Amino acid sequence: MTALALLPLLLPLALAPLLLTPATRATALRLAPWAPLPALGLAVLTTPGWVVDLSGVLVGVRLGLDATGRLFLFFTALVWLLAGLFARGWLADDARPSRFWAFFLATQAGNLGVCFALDAVSFYGFFALMSFAAYGVVVHADSDDAVRAGRVYLAMAVLGETLLVAGLLLAAGSAGTHHFAGLAAAPMSNTAAALLIAGFGVKLGLPLLHMWLPLAHPVAPVPASAVLSGVMLKAGLLGWLRCLPLGAQALPEAGATLMLAGFIAMFLGVAAGLMQRNLKVLLAYSSVSQMGYLSLGVGAGLLSPAGWLLLLPALGFHALHHALAKSALFLGAGLLHTHGANALRRAALALPALALAGAPLTSGVLAKEGLKQALAALPGPWPELVAGLLPLAALGTALLMARLIWLAWRLPAAADAAATPRGLHAPWLLAVLASALLPWGLASDETRSQAFELAMLTAASWPLLAAAVLAAAAVFLRLRAPALPPGDLLHPLAHRFERLRNARPRRPSPGTPKGSAIRVAPRAFGEILTARQTGAWWLVLLAAFILLLAR
Amino acid sequence: MIADTWLPVAVVLSSLVPGLFIFFLAESRVRLRTTLNLAGAFVKLALIGVMLWGVLREHAYVFTHTVLPGVELVFKADALAMLFVTLSAALWLFTTVYAIGYLEGAPNRSRFFGFFSLCVTATVGVAMAGNLFTFFVFYELLTLATYPLVVHRGTEKALRAGHIYLAYTLGGGALLLISTVWLYGLAGQVDFAPGGTLSALPPAMAGQLQIIFLLLIAGVGVKAALVPLHGWLPLAMVAPAPVSALLHAVAVVKAGAFGIVRIVYEVYGIEFAQSLALLLPLAIVASITIIWGSLRALFQDDLKKRLAYSTVSQVSYIVLGVALFGPVGTIGGIVHLVHQGIMKITLFFCAGNYAETLGIHKVSEMDGVGRRMPWTTLAFTIGAFGMIGVPPLAGFISKWYLGLGALEAGMPWVLAVLAVSSLLNAAYFLPILHRAWFRAPPATWPDEHIPARRGWETVPLLLLPPLATAAVSLLAGLFAASAFSPLDWATLIADREYLQWTP
Repeated sequence: MTALALLPLLLPLALAPLLLTPATRATALRLAPWAPLPALGLAVLTTPGWVVDLSGVLVGVRLGLDATGRLFLFFTALVWLLAGLFARGWLADDARPSRFWAFFLATQAGNLGVCFALDAVSFYGFFALMSFAAYGVVVHADSDDAVRAGRVYLAMAVLGETLLVAGLLLAAGSAGTHHFAGLAAAPMSNTAAALLIAGFGVKLGLPLLHMWLPLAHPVAPVPASAVLSGVMLKAGLLGWLRCLPLGAQALPEAGATLMLAGFIAMFLGVAAGLMQRNLKVLLAYSSVSQMGYLSLGVGAGLLSPAGWLLLLPALGFHALHHALAKSALFLGAGLLHTHGANALRRAALALPALALAGAPLTSGVLAKEGLKQALAALPGPWPELVAGLLPLAALGTALLMARLIWLAWRLPAAADAAATPRGLHAPWLLAVLASALLPWGLASDETRSQAFELAMLTAASWPLLAAAVLAAAAVFLRLRAPALPPGDLLHPLAHRFERLRNARPRRPSPGTPKGSAIRVAPRAFGEILTARQTGAWWLVLLAAFILLLAR
Repeated sequence: MIADTWLPVAVVLSSLVPGLFIFFLAESRVRLRTTLNLAGAFVKLALIGVMLWGVLREHAYVFTHTVLPGVELVFKADALAMLFVTLSAALWLFTTVYAIGYLEGAPNRSRFFGFFSLCVTATVGVAMAGNLFTFFVFYELLTLATYPLVVHRGTEKALRAGHIYLAYTLGGGALLLISTVWLYGLAGQVDFAPGGTLSALPPAMAGQLQIIFLLLIAGVGVKAALVPLHGWLPLAMVAPAPVSALLHAVAVVKAGAFGIVRIVYEVYGIEFAQSLALLLPLAIVASITIIWGSLRALFQDDLKKRLAYSTVSQVSYIVLGVALFGPVGTIGGIVHLVHQGIMKITLFFCAGNYAETLGIHKVSEMDGVGRRMPWTTLAFTIGAFGMIGVPPLAGFISKWYLGLGALEAGMPWVLAVLAVSSLLNAAYFLPILHRAWFRAPPATWPDEHIPARRGWETVPLLLLPPLATAAVSLLAGLFAASAFSPLDWATLIADREYLQWTP
């Protein structure tokens, strides 16, 4: 069992150095896309519940697979596999494919590892491996934008990990053990919970910790953005599920804060995403918004432990749904953006977009319905808030996806389908299929039958219809969305920072190249938005409200 | 058994004797000098292996020689001494190999290696000193043996740094002498013993003991580079790379830190020190040093200077661990004695490689160096991530135990110190790694004098030591919980230091 447990982790780690030596490079390159296969096999074939103790490693490592870990391992390995296959074609004429693959595989090993880790130290180790190795993937293009995005990414990742270590130390200190089984049983202080929430929250793009996401996802090569947004964010969710005393101890303050942060993320992601012209930036903001749902669920679990039994499967399902849909969207968006669009490609892009928007009979509607039902049992004002805001968020997501499809529509048509490198279509279409079908296989019979009920069909349809109406209105009125630079809040911050730097006499500071972390936005936000456009946007928002109230 | 008495002496002599011989060798006798050096290093390691086995089974190796009535020279191989002796002997071997490659063809090599051996002799003496007097003797000998190494190049800058080094360390030595004599007046000759011996003194002396503690710590704190006594360390980096490596990892800085360990655990006793309220101030001083060192490191463009400030910060992790009352903190501090040594020696070896091979001395010159020297940069990367404290490297183990120890000691604010320090470590190491791996190399290197040949990016003697120490720092972290790891040994020591501990 030990060898079996270690193989999926050691295989990508062993392949990475083989890529860097000329003698073995060709073989390793051929094998690299298949590296997640053992992990996928383990997730599909083994029954969960096994545990392997490596007591001599680090401070005592425990690996294993429980039901939660198995689900995460399943979609993580699957998305890595599809992205890897896609990368084979995507990097066909890249200048430095082996460098990309080495970092890609190291990131993969970390990401698969967190699914196996059953103790805080090895979890953190894999998490750190994933975070640091992903830097190499983010900056792969070597452009100024990539380096800048990489710096923001790395700074926030390091910040997150520092908070994480402090949180884990507090948790392990009070529990007297670093194994998750012991951690869950011990009482947790608010400080520890806050540190853990923020530490993992960087990965999940909690508001104010989200700035790296829209910067890093677009600059990374397309297959890397797919795994970054599709599954690496979920490692943060898994961290929460593993470390927070969910279902055991109520932490009302932390729970309420996290729920509010979730709501803010949902709307902030949509609002900022609507102002984007780049498909990948839009998708990154959509991830911020979607991660809000997960924060909402985990926050609810902290608020009232009684409901956790319902929430956990709902969150797992949502994570699965988003992982598959978002990675399919990223692969598609990248393909269309670089190699042009045609009818088939637009249709294949629209399918996961509809799922994300929660259209009837998609995985999205199952995910959202599951979460809504699990949240209904909350005390106090929360059920009302959830009932009031979730449909609005659904409308927002639908609008965002409408914009995505609109942007995809206006992409230039593919000049020559044969010019597209081989090996891109198959993994992408597989990802689209997987996102459309797999969640159905994994949903419970009850939710499956519910999805066909008339009430559910209509409930799921109206945000889509409303979004269609609004989108059509926007097109008719020739509304131009104001442009928001990716990284939103970072720009005023960088601007302020730049002014501070210029105010004091410059001293040569080594190591940090000249210029601020982020190029300052060329024009202030207000200048871009004309008075007429502002007015039009207010009209649209008003219409949305009326639609919502009239429902 | 006679071997029990003479083994500790033999360990000291195994570097002293070759060292004295080397002084009288002609410059040209390269082979004989190398043989003597390596023979000494291997003999020392073999002797240490024997003693390690004995100490593990609680066997006592003690040598006593009466200098004056009531003043004895004592060598004792206890668990704590063995930890430091093993570290210095192992790293001495690596450094010797490295120095042979580094100084190939340079002048004054006999003088260099002679003092180099003396320096290790003094370190081993410091490690195995069985009482405060013996400790003082070898501590001062260390100052005298390292001065010629610091000024080895003989440049104006080196001489000035040497002056400052002497001023600082002799001042510290004077404080140590005063406090040792004062303590002699109160308690007679103070032997090092687990749990300390001073708690037997009448309570009325508590005030005096507190002042003596302050003086003792200030005395050894100079070498341990506690802020504000650290000024000499960043200047001393003008020394040749192998000297800096040894100075920062084993000899001088470590001797200071080790002195603090001995004073707290085996002169005062950790429980007595706690009752005199001495640990909290020590923790605060260590915390200030940790943050200040990292902050200063952030603004250094000179690579070795950045590493030197990093040492200031990292060595105080050891002091911090000592100041955390409870076995877990003790383990964290003591294990960092070893971990910091292997990680920092790796970094200094690499800095030396960059300078010797390509003439790179500054961080700003390191663009793309990873493509020209991938293996050196790999070792540097491992060392840097270890310093930041990323698992599975050794630095993480230290940080984890220090953090848990802080909670055990009821000082959760230490977690904030560790967090800030990790952030700062990342802030001054990660940009270097970005430059080295991701930037394009310049058209020409500043001063390339070792061309890449037959797959070797530099001379093998320069490349292999950092790779070996980097591998050790990986293994020490990855298999920390296994038998015979530094962590295992530190746990053994902590078990023996706490007499009445109940959590």
